[in-house]
Amino acid sequence: MSKYKTICLLLMVTLFLSGCWSKRELNELAIVSALGIDKVDDEFEVTVQIVVPGEISSKAPTSGRSPVITNYAKGKTIFEAIRKMTTLSTRKIYFAHTQVVILGEELAKEGISEALDLISRDHEFRNDFNVIIAHETTAKEVLNILTPIEKVPANKLINSLNTSEKAWGSTIAINIDELVSTLSSSETSPILSAIEIKGDATLGMGATNVDKVKTPVVLKYAGLAVFKKDKYIGLLTEEESKSVSFLSDKIKSTIEIIACPKGGTLATEITKSKTKIKGKFEKGTPKINVHIDVEQNVGEVECTINLTSQKSIDYVNKKTEELIKKQIEKSISTIQQTYRSDILGFGEELHRADPKKWKKIKNDWPTMFQDLAVNVEVHVKTKGLGTMQNSILNKKKKE
Amino acid sequence: MSISKVTNTSQSNSNNDLLYSSLSQNMKVIKHTLGNSNDIIIREISIGKAEKNTVTSEITIGKAEKHAMVMISIDGLSDKTTISDSVIDKLIQEVEEAQNPDVETIKQYVKETCLTVGDVNEISNFSTLYNSILNGDTVILLDGVSAGIVTSTKSAKDRAITDPSTESVIRGPRESFTETLRTNTALIRRKIKSPNLWIKSRVIGEVTKTDVAVMYLNGIANDKIVAEVLARLDRINIDGILEGGYIEDFIQDSKFTIFPTVYNSERPDVIAGELLDGKIAILVDGTPFVLIVPALFTSFLHSAEDYYQHWIISSLVRILRFFGISLALVAPSLYVAITTFHQEMLPTPMLISIASQREGVPFPAVVEALMMELAFEILREAGLRMPRTIGPAVSIVGTLVIGQAAVEAGIVSAVMVIIVALTAICSFLFPAYGLSNTIRLLRFPLMILAAMLGLFGVMFGMMMIIIHLCSIRTFGVPYLSPFGPLILKDQKDALVLFPRRALLTRPSLISQKNNVRGHKFFSVKKRN
Repeated sequence: MSKYKTICLLLMVTLFLSGCWSKRELNELAIVSALGIDKVDDEFEVTVQIVVPGEISSKAPTSGRSPVITNYAKGKTIFEAIRKMTTLSTRKIYFAHTQVVILGEELAKEGISEALDLISRDHEFRNDFNVIIAHETTAKEVLNILTPIEKVPANKLINSLNTSEKAWGSTIAINIDELVSTLSSSETSPILSAIEIKGDATLGMGATNVDKVKTPVVLKYAGLAVFKKDKYIGLLTEEESKSVSFLSDKIKSTIEIIACPKGGTLATEITKSKTKIKGKFEKGTPKINVHIDVEQNVGEVECTINLTSQKSIDYVNKKTEELIKKQIEKSISTIQQTYRSDILGFGEELHRADPKKWKKIKNDWPTMFQDLAVNVEVHVKTKGLGTMQNSILNKKKKE
Repeated sequence: MSISKVTNTSQSNSNNDLLYSSLSQNMKVIKHTLGNSNDIIIREISIGKAEKNTVTSEITIGKAEKHAMVMISIDGLSDKTTISDSVIDKLIQEVEEAQNPDVETIKQYVKETCLTVGDVNEISNFSTLYNSILNGDTVILLDGVSAGIVTSTKSAKDRAITDPSTESVIRGPRESFTETLRTNTALIRRKIKSPNLWIKSRVIGEVTKTDVAVMYLNGIANDKIVAEVLARLDRINIDGILEGGYIEDFIQDSKFTIFPTVYNSERPDVIAGELLDGKIAILVDGTPFVLIVPALFTSFLHSAEDYYQHWIISSLVRILRFFGISLALVAPSLYVAITTFHQEMLPTPMLISIASQREGVPFPAVVEALMMELAFEILREAGLRMPRTIGPAVSIVGTLVIGQAAVEAGIVSAVMVIIVALTAICSFLFPAYGLSNTIRLLRFPLMILAAMLGLFGVMFGMMMIIIHLCSIRTFGVPYLSPFGPLILKDQKDALVLFPRRALLTRPSLISQKNNVRGHKFFSVKKRN
């Protein structure tokens, strides 16, 4: 009995021997909200946006100091740069709450794979943050801009990304896991949302940027960036970005504007969209069928149209179908002809449809992609008219 | 049958304990033993032929020769009205008419016909005599007879039955036990009018001779447990029992667990409910709390009111209580663990908010937590012990100094105050106070484990606690049942409460004989 007790006691003592292993007090941490990676010459330049908790909290009276600070360091590897940063940082840099990683344009053009290794390998990084690229600027510049309303600029970046994905469709939030898995697939190339600076970047650094009614320097999403393998090759326009969102089944809600039969325009709100992409081989030639089911409401009527009749609704449906189809077909051909990068996962679809035949064309895929036949089919249903039936324009004309 | 008689006839068999037939000799021994204390009333009465007598207080009755008679009682313990109306008065009125001058006959007559008191017994030794008078009875001794007559004249002086002060309910009976054993047994009997409600008595305490009654429902309670309870009570060897807690300490299965394994309640309805489950009640004279064995962990989380309101409400309240209790146990340690080891677990805005409050706090989170918890415990203990009139002063100091001022001075963070307050409120959620103290104590080792190992430490501590809980037995019944071992049938009245009509069976590990509730048990009994 006493033997067991002694053993148990000794085992318990070992627990206490560990001391306060890996203990970190909250006020010893520098909480990183965003991480930026640039390439300067042959080195990586890492920028971290660190939250100053005292300035963020709603309770404490703000002393007027900046709510975030940025630290920079250069290194041959990102890891080295981060560790080097301790020489100028006051506290231990803590990455678990990183919300967004921004890749500079230079880096993106040279390839992003190397830069992503550390952040997807290190245990301190979570895997739920989004990755975006800086368009025509560096990540460092983007992280130096203060934003109004959101005291932490990283929050602004995430919020805009998510809201515009949900309500407009020109951005897609891609988190690190999705990005890494796309990069590691041999068929598909990634797309990332791109942020740009509107205004003079040097003015955006100070408090002057947030104490005006009209913010002088703003951060705006420019659209989707197309990659070929891991290299940034070009930016899609807003319309093309939306089409890509349709094709990747990421559209939650967006707006389409169609022409009315007697002139004027009518805006519809897409409320639901479901995209199915099917690949098949017809006599050895790969073919892609895209089927999109869309539900919409009439959002804004700026013309005379009798919305109470089924005929007009059919007209609206047909017009929207045509419009979406046209846009998507146009975007696909741009992607095929200009960028020649399979960002839509068509190759993967074909692989899934017929692995054997895929094997034969696999090596020719980059060239075959350019001439791939894509058949787009769109079905639109109008569900509601909002809180009004006909436009007030209708009445005016009668009088 | 009086309580004192049962036990003491067996105790005193030695020869010098027996009463003498000479009254004067008896009186000498009695006066010597009681040390001539001035609250002993010794009333001398003469019975028989009237003689010239100068002593006015002496009464002479009967027509035969004079017999001396002495009445002994203790002032304050006995009821003076009963003594004068039903004893002295009757002796004067009735014994006068007795024709036979024989001492034995007089004794017999006094015992059987004369006294108009309900409970009359004959005794033959000194120890019983002392017990009787110390219990408030009156003893009548006759010269020439080596026996005494005990008449029950216990004074009914006791506290009124009041509202329960520690277990209050909104809906439910408003009565609570008092310090008087008889009142308490009566309160229970009034709830359970069954001939099967049995009482076994013991007198415990070599000096105090405290009455202890064991109550149970014969046929429902497990006989083995009843025997075990009585055996454990008999083993107690102590000078005095001043409160039920003494007994609790003696009859516990394990001396080293800080979890309470004996339940106590001051509510007759709770005790009656437990008796109906087949548990055994131990009543101690002088204690307004009745002990219940075997006590399961779940009973400490059940309130009497659970059974009086709608079962869905009760179930939700019970879940809330279980949740609150876990919070009372782990809230500070979780805070320490998460803020010093697992910052990634918090949502970012919350982390920033907590971090901003911790800016400038000079202590590590664990020191802060221990400090605040300790401060609260001190306040709580002070609140209990201090005179009531100083109460507001302590609460002002407590709330203002510990709460507000400490935060404003930047010594502790506001979140910590919230955590401590939450823990404090949760620890008052317990319907039974006993478990609350245990949780209070366990909070501190958990905090230290959390400070050293983070959530791993908290988990380690919780596992140790649960393993310990699983190992506890209370009168042979697993403490954690019906969770460990898992008894599906008994889940109806554990974490949740099923409607009354679904509660068909008694807890299966406690009453193993008649598990079906309702009329079945009694009808079966009749047929036999």
